[in-house]
Amino acid sequence: MFTYTIRRLLIAIPTLLVISLIIFLVVTLAPSDPTANLPLSIPSEVRAQMREALGLNEPILVRYLLWLRQFFLYEPLHMLDQAFGLSLAGEDMQRILSWQTRSPVADLIVQRLPQTLWVVGTSYVVGVLIALPIGIASAYRQYSWFDQIGTFVSMVGFSVPTFFTGVLLIVIFSVHLGWFPSIYDTTLRVTDLSTFWLQIKQMIMPVAVLALYNAAQISRFMRASMLDNLNQDYVRTARAKGMTERVVVLLHVLRNSMIPVVTVIALGVPTVFGGAIITEQVFKVNGIGQLLIIAIQGGDVPTVQTLTFIFAVLIVLFNLIADVLYGLLDPRIRYD
Amino acid sequence: MSETAMSDRSPRPLVEIRDLRMHFPIHAGVLRRRVGAVRAVDGVSFDIHEGETLGLVGESGCGKSTCGRAILRLYDITSGSIRIEGDEIGTLGQDALRPRRPRMQMVFQDPQASLNPRMTVARIIGEPLDEHTTLSRAEKRDRIYELMDAVGLNRNFANRYPHQFSGGQRQRIGIARALALNPKFIVCDEPIAALDVSIQAQVVNLLEDLQDRFGLTYLFISHDLSMVRHIADRVAVMYLGRVVELAPRDSLYGAPLHPYTQALLSAVPEPDPDLEASRRHIILKGDVPSPANPPEGCNFCTRCPQAMPICHRIDPEMREPRPGHFAACHLHDPDHIPTAGSTAANDQPQQGE
Amino acid sequence: MRAKHALLGAAAALALAPAAFAERGSDGQVNIIYWQGPSTMNPYLSGGIKELEAASLSLEPLARYDPDGNMVPFLAETVPTLENGGVSEDLKSVTWKIKPGLLWSDGTPVTSADVRFTWQYCTAEGGGCSQSEKYNDVADVETPDELTAIVRFSVPKPYPYGPFVGNQAPILQAAQFADCLGPKAPGCTSANFMPVGTGPFIVTDFRPNDVIALKANEHYRDPEKPAFSTVNFKGGGDAMAAGRSVLETGEYDFAWNLQLAPEVLDQMAAAGKGEVEVAFGTLVERIMVNFTDPDPKWGERRATADHPHPFLTDKAVRQALSMAIDRDLLTEIGYGQAGRTTCNVLAAPEIYASEANEGCLVQDIEGAKALLDQAGWVPGPDGVRQKDGMRLSMLFQSSTNAVRQDFQALIKQWWSEIGVESELRNVDASVFFGGDPGSPDTFQKFYADVEMYANSFDGTDPEAYMANWECKQAPRPETQWQGNNMPRYCNAAYDALVAEMAKTGKMDERIALAKKMNDILMQDYVILPLVHRGRVSARATSLGGFVMNAWDSELWNAADWYRVK
Repeated sequence: MFTYTIRRLLIAIPTLLVISLIIFLVVTLAPSDPTANLPLSIPSEVRAQMREALGLNEPILVRYLLWLRQFFLYEPLHMLDQAFGLSLAGEDMQRILSWQTRSPVADLIVQRLPQTLWVVGTSYVVGVLIALPIGIASAYRQYSWFDQIGTFVSMVGFSVPTFFTGVLLIVIFSVHLGWFPSIYDTTLRVTDLSTFWLQIKQMIMPVAVLALYNAAQISRFMRASMLDNLNQDYVRTARAKGMTERVVVLLHVLRNSMIPVVTVIALGVPTVFGGAIITEQVFKVNGIGQLLIIAIQGGDVPTVQTLTFIFAVLIVLFNLIADVLYGLLDPRIRYD
Repeated sequence: MSETAMSDRSPRPLVEIRDLRMHFPIHAGVLRRRVGAVRAVDGVSFDIHEGETLGLVGESGCGKSTCGRAILRLYDITSGSIRIEGDEIGTLGQDALRPRRPRMQMVFQDPQASLNPRMTVARIIGEPLDEHTTLSRAEKRDRIYELMDAVGLNRNFANRYPHQFSGGQRQRIGIARALALNPKFIVCDEPIAALDVSIQAQVVNLLEDLQDRFGLTYLFISHDLSMVRHIADRVAVMYLGRVVELAPRDSLYGAPLHPYTQALLSAVPEPDPDLEASRRHIILKGDVPSPANPPEGCNFCTRCPQAMPICHRIDPEMREPRPGHFAACHLHDPDHIPTAGSTAANDQPQQGE
Repeated sequence: MRAKHALLGAAAALALAPAAFAERGSDGQVNIIYWQGPSTMNPYLSGGIKELEAASLSLEPLARYDPDGNMVPFLAETVPTLENGGVSEDLKSVTWKIKPGLLWSDGTPVTSADVRFTWQYCTAEGGGCSQSEKYNDVADVETPDELTAIVRFSVPKPYPYGPFVGNQAPILQAAQFADCLGPKAPGCTSANFMPVGTGPFIVTDFRPNDVIALKANEHYRDPEKPAFSTVNFKGGGDAMAAGRSVLETGEYDFAWNLQLAPEVLDQMAAAGKGEVEVAFGTLVERIMVNFTDPDPKWGERRATADHPHPFLTDKAVRQALSMAIDRDLLTEIGYGQAGRTTCNVLAAPEIYASEANEGCLVQDIEGAKALLDQAGWVPGPDGVRQKDGMRLSMLFQSSTNAVRQDFQALIKQWWSEIGVESELRNVDASVFFGGDPGSPDTFQKFYADVEMYANSFDGTDPEAYMANWECKQAPRPETQWQGNNMPRYCNAAYDALVAEMAKTGKMDERIALAKKMNDILMQDYVILPLVHRGRVSARATSLGGFVMNAWDSELWNAADWYRVK
């Protein structure tokens, strides 16, 4: 398992380099201009100067290599400096700067992560926690009323877009009932019970919207996997042994059914870091997803490039984690 | 038929099955309404005596595996009676059944699928001990080793997973697991069908050996007539959810009474090439009817080479033309004997060659 | 004596203050939402309107524009003019006097050195200053004393209010930005995010594109102001949600730039928690007519003056196109109360608006047909008018935008009624306005016969705006397709007026010249104005002192805001 992991990590390096080049080319060659959103009253000569100041006049290859050096060398050095108060990074080691805010992209990401992890992460956890029991129960009582309702709710959760459910919730709970704020306050610090309550109140709606969506997906997986296993011979064996139904379902069936589900859950974790572009916009959570979409709209190549590359790293990493988990959970799988 | 109709020995049988029915409902349509039933087991009765092996044979799909599982109440049966040591279990709920499970166990056909892939051998064998005994940890371990020894598994493999064993070894694990709680009655559901031929004999010998050592009673389900001939004391032949013939081994193999049994036996290859060449095979025409929609009259009438008009109307009852040899066929009904002297059907030339 | 003086001053201030007994910081927090979050507080590094507006809470120019477009002194004592001697007779220098006793939010005094530094900052090589045009032709900024700054221009400037006036050109603190000149500018993150300012509020926490926390500037020049102690400046979301948060849920006090369908806005306002504020600046939605032939057969020289347009050079055709349009309907459908019909490309400020072209307000299909008939354009077998084998068939392009596509469809219908065929096309805004000389789809390339978009000019002076249609401003290969004269209009009389305005300093004469230029463009049907578009924002009823302003930042008088009790 260890050598397998090492081997996979080594293979990941060229993969990621190729991915970074492709992302760079796609982002750079796309017809976008960081000055396009400025008022028309700013004359074209000034725009040209602004583009030059952003380094847009350099050849593409030079910009790519600079980004690589910044991402893999300068940024880690700066991070070490910040963490341990060192001064490893030289004066000329310019960090990756966003074209829109002119501030380091890494700082923006660090600033955006808390709300994304809070909202999107919580919704993922809540979604999983809802999905598993629903999936188990609907499989155990296949075609029962509970299963039919579960199937319907999943279908709704899966097919109704979050911008619809989100706005619907806002109109009901913010506009008409006035229970929850329609705008998320990212500056709220949880220091005592009352601020904690405020935080819960502002998280309820976005978390509910996303959790419904996540739960819809995962509960279907759980159900399918349970159904696969419920009809296996070893389940009959367990019953023949005289094990209680609880042991049969929760120990025998569930543990085997969780193998693919855990993999699916692990593969979904990078999307948590990616944020939820639409839901973040609807509730003004302003997390990573919103950062990405703003950067795309503003032609902010360094931010888009850095974010998408981090997503790529996370996806590669969690694919590996999913595979390793699979190996740990399923004794039939050996990677050596 | 009477309560003791199919028992030929005086002590009370260990297992008594009466008119067992197992129908699976068929649902269809948007609202999944019940539109019919698959009559997998449709009125089966027989006894199994303590210490004997009853072979249950038939083509695949005839309901013999379902019958075995129904007897162990792995299904909630549709109707009928199942008595084990005089104890009626046919109508018990699953919770009431659980404490009775140690007495009756099962060895499954597919040793790979029937073992939980995420449990070690020790856990698989030991799990029933957790549920049904109060043994200490060490006692349990000793019992597991004992069982592994009994089935010929190396003790060192106790912490391995099923996939790390060969097919024959896996079936030994399945047998050890079945033995863990000292059962009296074991249903062996095609225990050798998934194994290599070279391993089959080993497993069968092991089962016979264990039967002698522990005084076990087997219901041995198989489609392999020669293996059943080797292991069984008596044999029951099933066709389309019913037992059509039930007889002591030698009587059945020597002089089968039912046309279906005759056809089955004619298909068994003969080891002696000379004899094989001179044998006559009975080839059955047509397909087995759907158990959801069995034919009127005798179940076998659609394929029977000797079918008579009555066969299409009246379902034949089980009769005992010879002592201890039962068959359900109008050919052996004194009221319906078509032509004189045709009772020894296997002596008559049949179609085919 | 001194105490008495101070007392009198305080009394005067009290009398002037709109909120009777307001005291600095007594009204708690004001919540502002901009659905596009500001990415920096340094207006010189962005140029986006959202950044300019946010920065206006902290950074102030020497003078701003009031809602009527008049200049009012902010950091300056008075606005220098020819009349008061502040502007030199040769129009080459302006003398600004800073109000005495002004302090930066860090407590240090505001001096003329800061003014001079701001000019240096924006004109430093390699800084990419987005407002450098404001400092065009500034030869030097002299600082004879701490409170006097003399701006010297290299050429006569009849309208010398580019530098240091309006929300695009506020004063930066020299001490804070001293090490941020040129290429170093983007690296000064903390200065760019949290500038030391003279405005009513200063930043305490800046999260780009997300939220800005500000608090009252304790060194603000009016000791009673601002009434609010903190500002929560939220960004992100969309116009609909921002409008809802003010008009329907009442969570926010002010929402900026609500480009929403008129009926949506009316419905929200019906909730009664806030009011819709509209102000009209210089933004005019218009159709540009291409005087040159965009036919691909001309290769590199397509859409240049080398190849005049085969039929749009005929004034009758241009006029007929204009007559066929129902501007009332367009305004009502597209903008509601946020728009009004106009027949001028120079629609504001009020004093510049011509009244000579009102004829365009009424749609006249029959008149347009008659005009074309007269000019010899007769309907062909397919209903499309033609003359000498030339069909009136056009490509009509615009940027991708729901309202514009509605407009395109309506106009296409009207034009087809008078026998002019048009094919519609829309281009993504970032490409259309992107100005990439390599792209064939920019509004400067104008590879189409007519195109529609909106444009405006900064501040209140139309000189540069009207110069857009000078002959030399036509985009062409020699200028890398840059330039503002999209129609490629070329009229010696017009160019002469442009030149004359460039050396006229007297206000009434400037007004007459601008109107004359507007009338030439209108009566020659070079540009077909459609809608004078306003800015729409929403304000909670509990926010007092707010005055909508189209000529400067909408937050221009945030110091005067207070909570209605």
